[in-house]
Amino acid sequence: MSPTLAAALEGAAKIAFVWACVLGAVLPNLIWVERRMAGLIQDRPGPNRVGPFGLFQAVADILKLLMKEDVVPMYADRLLHTVAPLILLVPAMTTFAVIPFGSTIHLFGRDISLVVADVNIGILYVFALTSVGIYGLVLAGWASNNKFALLGGLRSSAQVISYELAMGIAAISVFLAAGSLRLQRVVEYQASGTFLGFLPLWNCFPQAIGCLIFIVSAFAETNRVPFDLPEAEAELVAGYHTEYSAFRFGMFFMAEYLNLIAASAMMATLYFGGWSLPYLHLTGIFGSLASIAVFAAKTGFFIFLFVWVRWTLPRFRFDQLMNLGWKVFLPLSLLNLLWTGALVLWGVI
Amino acid sequence: MPAFSGQLVVFGFASFFALAFAVLMVVQRTPVRSVLSLVVTFFGLSVLAVLLAAPFIAALQIFVYAGAILVLFLFVIMLLNLKEEAADEDDRPVQRTLGLLVALALGGLLAGATLRAPAPPRGTPSLSSIPSPDEIPALGRLLFSDYLLAFEALSLLLLVAAVGALLLSKRKFE
Repeated sequence: MSPTLAAALEGAAKIAFVWACVLGAVLPNLIWVERRMAGLIQDRPGPNRVGPFGLFQAVADILKLLMKEDVVPMYADRLLHTVAPLILLVPAMTTFAVIPFGSTIHLFGRDISLVVADVNIGILYVFALTSVGIYGLVLAGWASNNKFALLGGLRSSAQVISYELAMGIAAISVFLAAGSLRLQRVVEYQASGTFLGFLPLWNCFPQAIGCLIFIVSAFAETNRVPFDLPEAEAELVAGYHTEYSAFRFGMFFMAEYLNLIAASAMMATLYFGGWSLPYLHLTGIFGSLASIAVFAAKTGFFIFLFVWVRWTLPRFRFDQLMNLGWKVFLPLSLLNLLWTGALVLWGVI
Repeated sequence: MPAFSGQLVVFGFASFFALAFAVLMVVQRTPVRSVLSLVVTFFGLSVLAVLLAAPFIAALQIFVYAGAILVLFLFVIMLLNLKEEAADEDDRPVQRTLGLLVALALGGLLAGATLRAPAPPRGTPSLSSIPSPDEIPALGRLLFSDYLLAFEALSLLLLVAAVGALLLSKRKFE
């Protein structure tokens, strides 16, 4: 087999594996987990009719969306109204390309790095895609020709731009410590030693503030409670997707969940050691498989955190949200950058 | 140079989209669609940057231009609720002529520079054959050593612009 063909096959296999996991396993179960958790927290059963424990609820939800009537408002911009959910969905699906989901595995005489594309721009790619996704929200709001949708779209773009700044500066500190934008390298760095002699070198310890800023900003970036102002139902009906029905609404829904999964994976990768286990260095094929499991467990925890917060906290007001982003998080993230720079300079990390 | 290669096809598509949507941006009468056409143009340009083995530039192009600056454009257009371009451009013959002249001069300048540029090396190096040292540390080192003064001057300029914009908008509201 020629090396080019082998590399192409390897890439295709990795893409197939990641999408099968995300779209086939995590996404439908996430819908179920979110609805059942809501039930648990609100002291009611939640959906429990379709399949054992209501496990097939996601299938029923998706089928329902597929079979409903697809309505386009009369005075909407037809082209942009159609394209908007796609602009949101495509970046959400392609973010996973740079996230390392495991260490290196030795299969068929090849060393396969368990990441679809370990490009040297790493997180910049993720941020670039996130910023493209904003167009989906804004255009959905504008093209619907509905004042609630427009306000929702404007709010979401203002919110995402504001928090992207603090999030980006928090992420810079991570790369300052790791010395590379390559995400596989970031994970290897965190697996490489200890902090203060006994803690694992996960970025969440030396950069606790940065970690907190990143996590809270991720809630704002994904438009989740307590920052779900773009779709605050009491004031904006359903925000930017007010005028969407059937499967086009389903696409917004899917993109929101995919962004949530990607944000969880990014948190695990940047601040919590990615696929690595503290103090342990597993090798061989079982070590590689274990690294995938470790990564899945960490990501799963953050997904759970998203759901947990959604059903626990009330919503912020818009001015509170903006004040938090610009007046608190931005200076704090700059301080965190200074602190990390000092740690690197003094050779602590 | 082979007549047909994957890179050539990608190059063709990317430049076609970049050019076609640049034209669309000018011709389009709805301001929102103009901004969106410009976004597609930027995407085409960033694909060209990837072909030149400069993914960092490509990512910045999307992140900064498409993701931040043009979103702000879109924001302003939506807030002002501009549905159609004002149709009074025929009242300004002087500006139109001047604009045409400047555009022609700029086009001539660019065409001249392209024609005078040294010929590219023969043969097509494929993406994998280009030794790809991490471009980011090299770029950072250059910015903070050889071009430090220019870099700092530029950041000061941006700061002045930001403060100025703040001052202007404040005065309007009071």
